[in-house]
This record gives sequence, C-alpha cells and structure tokens, in this order.
Amino acid sequence: MSTSVIEQRDPQAIRISNVCKSYGDYKVLKDINAEVGRGEVVVICGPSGSGKSTLIRTVNRLEEINSGSISFNGHDIHASMRTKELNLLRSRIGFVFQNFNLFPHLSVLENVAMSPIRVKGVPVAEARARAVKLLERVGLADKQTAYPGQLSGGQQQRVAIARALAMEPPVMLFDEPTSALDPEMVGEVLSVMKSLAAEGMTMLCVTHEMGFARDVADRIWFIDAGQIIETATPDEFFKNPQHPRAQRFLADLRH
Amino acid sequence: MITDLIAIIRDYWLLLLIGQYPNGPLGGLANTLILSALSIGFAFPVSIIFALARLSRWPLLRWPVTVLVYVTRGVPLLMLILWCYFVVPLVTGTDVPSFVIMLTTLVIYQGAFLSEVVRAGIVSLSHGQMDAARALGHSYLGAMRFIILPQALYNMIPSIISTFVSTIKDTTLGYVINVPDLTFAASQVNNQLLTQPFQVFLILALVYYVLCWSLTYVANRVERRIARRRAGTVSAAIAETTPATKIITEQP
Repeated sequence: MSTSVIEQRDPQAIRISNVCKSYGDYKVLKDINAEVGRGEVVVICGPSGSGKSTLIRTVNRLEEINSGSISFNGHDIHASMRTKELNLLRSRIGFVFQNFNLFPHLSVLENVAMSPIRVKGVPVAEARARAVKLLERVGLADKQTAYPGQLSGGQQQRVAIARALAMEPPVMLFDEPTSALDPEMVGEVLSVMKSLAAEGMTMLCVTHEMGFARDVADRIWFIDAGQIIETATPDEFFKNPQHPRAQRFLADLRH
Repeated sequence: MITDLIAIIRDYWLLLLIGQYPNGPLGGLANTLILSALSIGFAFPVSIIFALARLSRWPLLRWPVTVLVYVTRGVPLLMLILWCYFVVPLVTGTDVPSFVIMLTTLVIYQGAFLSEVVRAGIVSLSHGQMDAARALGHSYLGAMRFIILPQALYNMIPSIISTFVSTIKDTTLGYVINVPDLTFAASQVNNQLLTQPFQVFLILALVYYVLCWSLTYVANRVERRIARRRAGTVSAAIAETTPATKIITEQP
C-alpha cells in the first residue's frame, strides 16, 4: 500500500478538478479547476472571504469537498480510502498555517523531530540530527531547546516551516504564512520561502504579499467569490490584469 | 482536650492505622489509602477512554458513554453505592466484597466526572493543534496521544486534582456498606469510648485533611515544574506564582 501511494502517477503535482464546496446554502468554492506542475510556485490571491484558505485546506483534506476531485501526484485525496492511506498522503504534503500551530508543550527541536519519529518511524537520533539541520537552514539553530512560547511570531513560523519540511514532502502548502506577523518579521519568513522556491520545491501559497508573488511565483491564481477568475504569470497579472475584479483588487492594493 | 487526643491516638493507633488486621480484614488508614489509590489509578484511564468515546464520531461509542456519564453525574454517589451494593450480588449471584463494590462504584462515578474535565480540556484546545497534527500525517489516536492529551491534561491539572481529592473524601462513604476504612475504624473507636465523639472525629478530620492537602501539594509542585520547564528559566518567577493561585481557587 505504502509504495502505491508514494508513486507519482501524474506529471502535475496537484490537479484540482470541478471542486465545489458549500457551508449550508453558502457556496464557498464554485467549480474550481486548476493545476500545479512539479517544481512550480503558485500564489493564490484575492479579497478576503473569497475562498482562498478553504481551497488550500481542501488540498490536504483538512476541509472536505462536496463534489469534484483533487489529486496529488495522481492520487485522489478526497476518494474514500483507509485512514492509513490518507495519513500517508497527508504526511507528504507540507502545510504551514497562518497561526503557526506549533505544539506548545514540546521544545523547538521536538516540534521538528517528533512527526518523523512517530509517523515515519525514523530513528530518534537520525530525526534529531535532521531537525538540527533544518533549524540551521531556517536560521534558528540556537533555539533548539526553547519552547514556542518563548519565540517571536517570525521565529515560530520558521520553526513551523522546518517542522513541515522534516517530513520531506515533495509539495508545500502555505496558508497566509505572514498574515499573523508583525511587519518587521514578514521578511525573515518570506526569505525562507524564497530559498525553498529557489531549490525547486513545489509550492502553493495563499498570501497577500504581492512582492513575494511578483518575485517568486511562476503563476498567480486570482480568486473571487469562490471562483478562479484569472490565471496569469506575475508579469501579466500585475501589468495587465484582464478581469475587472482583478483590476480593482490591484488598484486597491496601490492605495 | 489535647491530652484526650493524644490518649486516643496512643490507645487506638493500630486500629486506626490497619483496622483489625491481622485478626480481621485490613482496614483503617491503610485501607483508605489503598482504596483511594486504586480508585484514582483506575478512574483516570477510564476517564480518558470515556472522554474519547464522548468525542467519537461513532454514535455506537458516543451514545452509551454519554448516557452513562449523564446518569452517573445526575445521581448522588451514596445512592449509587447502595444500588451497587444490593443489585450486584443479585445479578452475579455471588457475594462480592464491599471493598470491590466501593472501588467499582468510585471508578465509574469519578471516571464520569473526570471524563468531563478531560473532555473540556480537549475541546478547549484550538482546532489548529489537531489540524497541524493531521497535516503532518498523524493518525487520530496518534495526535491525541502525542499532541492533544499532553496539553489537555496539563491544562486541566487543577480540576483533575480536585477530582482526585474528592475521590479520597468519597471513600468515607464506604462506611455505609461496611468497607473497613479509616472512617469505619474511627466510628469503632467512638463506639468504644462513647463520650468523646468530638475528639475522635477531629482526629479523623485531621488525617483526611493531611491526606488531601499532601496530594494537592505534590500536584502543585509537579505543575510548577512543568510550567517552569516550558517557560524557560527567564520567566520562572511568573510560572512560580500563577499555577498556585489557580489550584487554590479550584479546591473543592
């Protein structure tokens, strides 16, 4: 079972087909169709309440969908399957939350090393050594023994990125990773994300950081009212947005 | 007055300590301690199982436990004890020792109360914790074991301790079904002396007080140690004071 779920059956890393989701009568996602290629960085932007976060949370099934399908390397995430398989699929999709969601009862090192040990069965010494390397990579080697409560928001988010990377996922999802941060801490998180993108990580990011979108994204999806109404390269999107709603959104940003 | 107390302790300390043992069943303080420890020791894991069942997606698990918890919480403990005392022998057809009856009743009763505390602890954590655990690929039970329960139980230490303390105090109700505990021994002493009920029961009260207070004290220390570790050495002073006040207000 485990090998079949890891197998890559699709040239696209993520393929979202006809996805609809509603809360009661309220339709959050209306027939979404989109793909993320391997090694591609896609930024999802749009006004608040447009369904960006819901969409990204459906990709690793933190939210259920009403119809359609989302495939990850050719495996339908929303198909009925044994929970073991779903957990294995999820462990291969890194997810970074707006509110970090670090485990406050564990030290920074334990936060990063625990899931490889408990989920993948990596030997403790090996997992800890890898966690140290990941913490060095996000610039927090000196915080190993600290607890999340002792860190700044930016530091916590970098630990959260290291924690997600510890599972060695081929794909990373970011749900507004800088929205809960003080302005002076946004840069440190974005630079970690940029370095990830430069190494060829497949990334899907919900963010309001238009500078990041312009510099790093290969493509931008503009969402409004539960629909992707524009897909474009950053150049096209910022210089010449097609949809009137996207034009208005960009105009409002410049104020 | 003080001399009376000393005289009672001098004459009856063995009875108060171990009851009629070795000529009769083990009783007195020893039995109270054993009954309390066993009740707490069993009620705690039972409460976690109850809490998880109450939060389960499967109605088959959720409903029976919910009914059990509601009924148990809505009925006086004394009634439950008497009910078990008379019904269990009828059902099983054998003579079940009153100690076992008392232990079972306490485990179910305190397990039900404690399960609500544990459940509240789990529910009060932010959804983000479970989301993060699931996103990393943890199974539901794995997430509970390594991420949710350690936090929920820690946050609930004051309420858990107050339930433990009331468990110790509730062992006294075993008196009505002749469980030979400390209360039973004290009442035997009182029956022999006849003239000094105030002194006898004052000794009883003092012993229970010391027992319950020590448990609270130890738990308090453990909680502070965890808080200090998490807060780091810098903010140790804050950790030193806050949990203490929490425990005092929670005491039953």
